[in-house]
Amino acid sequence: MDWLFFTEVTLAGLGSGALLSLTALSFVLIYKATRVINLAVGEILMLGGYLFFAFVTAFGLATWLAIPLAIAGGALFGFVVERTLIRPMLGESSISVLMLTVGLGSVLIGATELIWNTDPRALPDFMGQTPVFIGEAYVSRKIAIGFVVSALVIALFLLLFRFWRGGVALRATATDQAAAYSCGINVPAVFSLAWMVACATAAGAGLLVGAIGGISPTMGVFGLSALVVVIIGGLDSVLGALIGGILIGLVEAWAGTFLGGEYKLVTTFSILIAALMIRPYGLFGTVEIERL
Amino acid sequence: MTSLNRRQIMGLAAGAGLASAFPGFTAYAQEKEIVIGGSIPLTGVFAFAGVAIEAGMSDYVKLTNEAGGIAGRKLRLAYEDTAYKVDTSVAVFNKLTTQNDIHLYYGDSTGFAKTINEELNRRGTILMAGASFGSELNNPEKYPFQFMAGPDYVEMFAILLEYIAKAQPGAKLVFVNSDTEFGRDPIEASVKRAKEMGLDVVAQIVTPPTAVDVSTEVLKLRRANPDFTIFHGYVLAPLPEFMSQAKQLGLKTKFMGTFWSMDNSLWANVGAPADGFMGVMPYRYYYDTSPDAPILEKIRKLRPTYQATGYMQGFLTAMLMGEAAKRTLAAGKELNGKTLKAALNSIKDFDTGGIIGVPISVPGNSVPVGRIYQFNAADKQMKPASDWISLKK
Repeated sequence: MDWLFFTEVTLAGLGSGALLSLTALSFVLIYKATRVINLAVGEILMLGGYLFFAFVTAFGLATWLAIPLAIAGGALFGFVVERTLIRPMLGESSISVLMLTVGLGSVLIGATELIWNTDPRALPDFMGQTPVFIGEAYVSRKIAIGFVVSALVIALFLLLFRFWRGGVALRATATDQAAAYSCGINVPAVFSLAWMVACATAAGAGLLVGAIGGISPTMGVFGLSALVVVIIGGLDSVLGALIGGILIGLVEAWAGTFLGGEYKLVTTFSILIAALMIRPYGLFGTVEIERL
Repeated sequence: MTSLNRRQIMGLAAGAGLASAFPGFTAYAQEKEIVIGGSIPLTGVFAFAGVAIEAGMSDYVKLTNEAGGIAGRKLRLAYEDTAYKVDTSVAVFNKLTTQNDIHLYYGDSTGFAKTINEELNRRGTILMAGASFGSELNNPEKYPFQFMAGPDYVEMFAILLEYIAKAQPGAKLVFVNSDTEFGRDPIEASVKRAKEMGLDVVAQIVTPPTAVDVSTEVLKLRRANPDFTIFHGYVLAPLPEFMSQAKQLGLKTKFMGTFWSMDNSLWANVGAPADGFMGVMPYRYYYDTSPDAPILEKIRKLRPTYQATGYMQGFLTAMLMGEAAKRTLAAGKELNGKTLKAALNSIKDFDTGGIIGVPISVPGNSVPVGRIYQFNAADKQMKPASDWISLKK
């Protein structure tokens, strides 16, 4: 066994797993607060990548400015969607809201094709090209940065949910909306906040994914990989998103290296089936989650 | 609300009866045109190509009609978007061939070409080409009414291998392909061919269709340390990241690709990491000002901005369809799959107006010609790295 090679493969798996975790976080944040499964997360991720592209190329902004603006654009999009599309659907069946998010994803793809056309593009480089070595082990610079950013964001969210008033309000709303109302929590504002933060997170993930794989109107398919992660980790668990993402990232890296690339998805979906059979609510999910 | 009296209803019924009894009566208005039908992917994963293909075909139709059409008949392109989905492509095919008298058709994928083949054989009235260069389609016995306006994927690899064998005999190669029908197509046959040519395929790397990060694949590439790495089954991603990481690791391998990953504008956006990327291209690029390419000059006048490689593919496909129709009508034959295919196969040393740099022949279902181009990041252009290479001389 070549341990250096194994270590490098493992580090690569951790890095791509962290990207999955970050995207999965977007699913979790919305589900946790509003019990809505947002299937447009992949397309919002795509929107983040295209916003960054537009700010840098069309408006000529510096990358340090374009990055927060793209993330803020994601937040604004989340706010508008929640107020105009999701809130009027309160009280409607879960399937109706789910289908609404599917439609939202299609609209986003169509709008992207109209505005930026259908060509795949490379994002302007904002991470540099210098390789990163941990000891003797090579890690792709972009993957290393993606891992650090994802880890920091997830750690931040874990702390916010535990200690920040807004985070506690969100948890309270997730647990029992009526009780949260009676405690004086502004539940609609919590819904708005959840959508804004989740869409900002997805847009940020879009920057990282776009920096690695480029952007195109079909890049939202990455969101489906993250959906697998949240189903395994638990739809309402931030920790589940983290561990699920890392697990899938590692397994895919090992399977791809030692079995062959054609076995990556087979392995991932085998784990998904096993997870659903053993813990249908996810490794860290709440037991009473309603399955659709 | 409009209401019909009995006399009007009887009149309409008589009209309908006349139309069904004498099909020529309704077809009269259409008989002076040749319709090219198309299932074209204007949205979805292959939209970047579909949009360009439609532009290329439309421009050929426009130029031909301005020059008087084909044997006095005007050309018309009737197409719909398929989103690159086989079931939609089939539905579009059925719809368009019902609504129009179609003898020439453009399909969007290998999947569609295979699915519709039995129907083409059953009808025997249509000659079809498309966006697919699938090697399986390059079989005149199984696919008698289909062709492709360029080399099939195995032939593309053969052109690359021929170049490599001359440039560096005995070179070590790695093939990297996406885990799709498109990606897998030429791999097995090309491994065999490389061996016959004295080249050593030291590894084959497969990436899942949705791959974003390719770190683990790059690590495998480093272990194999080839002289040449040939990608197939991709448009752009994840090639730039693959090449960036390989450069970070100090690998000296030369990266190559096949037609659909050879568009100039895509690589121009990538910038420095794209420098040196090579690949096989069956057509000249939009900006080629060679004196023996008058059609490119016309295209530049029609469209002053860069047109993607799909444009040339669409243009040449329509040109070959038009030439087949022209030869069929000149021989006094009716347009159907058999006569059109025979006319197509009679094309020998044909001048494409410079879209391809050498005269071409269509002996079977493909045009086995290509040239190696290399991307120059400083000039942001693909530049010729070889002369035109014709297989099966």
